[in-house]
Amino acid sequence: MIDYTVLYKRVLPVNDNWPEEVRWKVFISAYTEAARVQRVFEKVSADSRHWLVLPEYGFRGDELPPGNAFVAETRHEGECIARFWETLGTLGPTGSICIDITGFVRPYLIFLIRWLMEQGITVFDAIYSEPVRYAKRELTQFSGERIAEVRQVAGFEGVHGTDTSNDVLIIGSGYDHQLIAHAAQSKDNARKLQIFGFPSLRADMYQENVLRAQQAEEAVGWRTGDQANSFFASAYDPFMTAHVLRGIVSAQNSRKPVTNLYLCPLSTKPMVLGFALYYVTERLNGPTSIVFPFSSSYARETSKGLSRIWLYRVELPRT
Amino acid sequence: MATNSQGNPFNITKAVDFSDEEISNYWVDIPTGGGFLEMAKPTSPMPMLILGGKGSGKTHLMRRLSYPVRRLDRPDRPLDVVAADGFLGIYMRCGGLNSARFSGKGQTDEAWAEVFAYYMELWFSQLVLAVVRDVFTGNDELARAEAGICASVSAVVDGPEGVQTADTLRALCDSLGALQQEVDASVNNCAITQQMDVRIRTNRGALIFGVPRILVERLSCLSGCLFVYLVDEFENLTERQQKYVNTLIREKVSPCSFKIGARLYGVRTYSTYSADEDNKEGSEFEVLWLDERLRKQRRNHYRPFARRLVVRRLQEYGYLPTTSVPAKALDASLSDWFQQPSTTDLPASERAAIVKKYARSERPYFAALRAKLLEGMRARAAPGISAEGDVDRAVGNLRVHDRPLLEKTNVFLLYKDWYRHRPLPEASLAIARACHEFVSADVRTGRYWDNFSHFKGDLLAQLYRECDQKQRYLGIDAFVDMSGSLPRNFLVVLKHVFAWAMFGGERPFGDVPVSHRAQRQGVAEATEWFFRDARTVGIGGRQAQESIGRLGALFRAIRFSDKPSECSCIGFSFDSAEASDAARDHIRIAEQWSLLIRVGTQRDRNTERVDVKYQLNPMLCPRWDLPIYRRGILALTPGELNAIFDPAFAEGFQGLLEARIARMTAPFFGRRRRPAKRGDTPLFSDDAHD
Repeated sequence: MIDYTVLYKRVLPVNDNWPEEVRWKVFISAYTEAARVQRVFEKVSADSRHWLVLPEYGFRGDELPPGNAFVAETRHEGECIARFWETLGTLGPTGSICIDITGFVRPYLIFLIRWLMEQGITVFDAIYSEPVRYAKRELTQFSGERIAEVRQVAGFEGVHGTDTSNDVLIIGSGYDHQLIAHAAQSKDNARKLQIFGFPSLRADMYQENVLRAQQAEEAVGWRTGDQANSFFASAYDPFMTAHVLRGIVSAQNSRKPVTNLYLCPLSTKPMVLGFALYYVTERLNGPTSIVFPFSSSYARETSKGLSRIWLYRVELPRT
Repeated sequence: MATNSQGNPFNITKAVDFSDEEISNYWVDIPTGGGFLEMAKPTSPMPMLILGGKGSGKTHLMRRLSYPVRRLDRPDRPLDVVAADGFLGIYMRCGGLNSARFSGKGQTDEAWAEVFAYYMELWFSQLVLAVVRDVFTGNDELARAEAGICASVSAVVDGPEGVQTADTLRALCDSLGALQQEVDASVNNCAITQQMDVRIRTNRGALIFGVPRILVERLSCLSGCLFVYLVDEFENLTERQQKYVNTLIREKVSPCSFKIGARLYGVRTYSTYSADEDNKEGSEFEVLWLDERLRKQRRNHYRPFARRLVVRRLQEYGYLPTTSVPAKALDASLSDWFQQPSTTDLPASERAAIVKKYARSERPYFAALRAKLLEGMRARAAPGISAEGDVDRAVGNLRVHDRPLLEKTNVFLLYKDWYRHRPLPEASLAIARACHEFVSADVRTGRYWDNFSHFKGDLLAQLYRECDQKQRYLGIDAFVDMSGSLPRNFLVVLKHVFAWAMFGGERPFGDVPVSHRAQRQGVAEATEWFFRDARTVGIGGRQAQESIGRLGALFRAIRFSDKPSECSCIGFSFDSAEASDAARDHIRIAEQWSLLIRVGTQRDRNTERVDVKYQLNPMLCPRWDLPIYRRGILALTPGELNAIFDPAFAEGFQGLLEARIARMTAPFFGRRRRPAKRGDTPLFSDDAHD
């Protein structure tokens, strides 16, 4: 069984040049107005760099970035990534790929992981740039007001059973309390557990996170911070998130076998990556799925500054 | 005695969070008639829609009918339970199907409809077989008939080997499960391959109706038993998927029937695949409107039911004995556990507090009246008031030293007289006389009594607000009534009240009643949750919620105006034909999410037109300091209605609100003001109206 914690991660300089060996054949990033996304795009060394412009950000034609920009016309993550991939040409499993996960809308990022795996790609690099702070601190609104539906993410739909007597929903809880509430309500009968990002990206972000998550308490069914139902994983570490998920599921199963497992990553992008990595590594084709409250819009810029740039080397299982 | 006495007995507010044992243990019935089971008619072959707001108890009721809970009555003899019941409840949640995946991915809607129907066949039949295996635990009859049952079932399935060779229900169930997994895998991979490779191996209804029929034919113990599919969370299915279930309802075959649980907004269609015909109430199905049924019988059913709910929780958590004390006595003690003021007048202590607080200054309502009289005098808009001495005398006439609520009544009556252009010095004297008669002779007829009895609640609320006190939503009966006949709301209120009491160092359900403070904080938190929670999936939910915000603001402004036009006003009526489509739509959404409750129709006073009537869910009323009991109904003009419920007109809301409230506000009562000139007649134009 893979030990997630030994997977490779490092910090890249924010202002200084990056080392020579840090370069790729293809670099992909999701376009937003965030300076931390655009600065990394400019800084990166790659044979080709591609913007993926997602419809949830609502960019008009005259707002698009210059260069290779694929404007997604569908809001279905599976169709969007498949069409985007066609524009890249043949990469093959050996082509070095780097994905800046910072600006991705979560379901697209989650599906992309499965897609890479299905393309036979077993290793890729991921970049995440941390903000100095979120624009309105604990009041920052990330997703739009309108939640179109709560559904499984394509490629992460699992094979579920008819016995629903001990279903479990693990929510990676972020700032969007409405998304937490929607996710919890959609799996009303499941026992709900939450993973909070701790250590958080910045010291005060954990408190901000909890303040927001508290507003979804009634849907989740227990007090935020309740020891039996709260877990923690580094907000900047996908591998630790996958490791913590494995521990939680194992503990739940030893208490009473989990009938259906639902994962809902609403927290930081590295944690989202961790959820997806855990799923494709350990839960594929089982009674597990990743569910997500799909919002019709997301704010283009929610943060201030760039404090740290992470580089993760992600290893995917072979299909 | 205590089993759980450290915990909050109201922490669990949703039936889905209960185990089967807890569903059974926490079951509470309405006190009269045959109870909920009689309402649900489980042995009736006629399918039923069980509709209710969120938290109305649908899931608890449906799970109570399900076999795993029924069998707890006689765990050692499940067959006896089935025989006595005459039905076998097969419970399933639509949420467990994750039905959204049966769409898109480059496939046609028709293709998905076929795959979903097949999937449901496999899903339902596995549930039935699992239940029947459990029913026959330790009984030989199944063992003897098992191979024959499997053979009959396999005959309606096209292959595969697992199904065809199964000779036990377990093996058959596993084989059907394997088929289901094939479908799952194909549906999931479809997102990547854009191709769907599902081989549909059975006809619609062949397993859903076929398996129960085969079981009844081959197992004499099940003879006459009705298989009731309890399909909960119907709202989680798409319109096409509901159409499929509707078709099953229409084409149902004995010995099967359906109970479909859905929220008020949950039924997207009544259409079927049987020539696209709609299922009709009374013909293909009947409807149980759960919360409406409880609401209509609030006194006889809901109130005692809700109180029993509390007693049951407290018993389970060890706060109350389970034996030796008569249930009636326990019920009676509930009220004593919450500090409650009188609802008819200010308690003596609060009267004294107000008298003391304003011993050296004018009481706020007199100060406000004085200011308005002076303003009216200057504008020549206060009949009979021409000097400051007149003001002093008019105000002085209304004083009743130690009865602030009567003083409020007096002031209110003077505002009414003022609105009617009556000379205010004489009016104040008449009010003083009527007040004296009311106090000294307890006269309970006439204008004074009518106004006092009708507006007492509003005047008390005004008094609290003017004297910097919080509004009162206190006591177990208030909690029951503010829940709008949704048991979950009631439990959520109690949960928060309990939590605040514990936080404040109190010992709820101990020797000392729960404080006003804890009750107030608990109610406020529960109200906020209810309002916030209604922000539904979809933009309509948010707009409906914003509309309710405007409606609440209007009711509040009326309640705290000088001369409220309606007493205890939390209801409104309107001419549906004049409302915009969007307004009607948002009212419908608000009703479906229980933010509004439909309370019938009423004839318009002027036109004889029949208008629709709604009221705000009482659970929301504390948010705007409104009463939880409705009396007056506000007739909204089309303009007002659209400004409240249609975002396209919302910009005009504030202006319309101000115009309406101006008519209830001294000194001008909404009449046009003209510049005052010496020797002018009183400044009222002729178009004054109410």
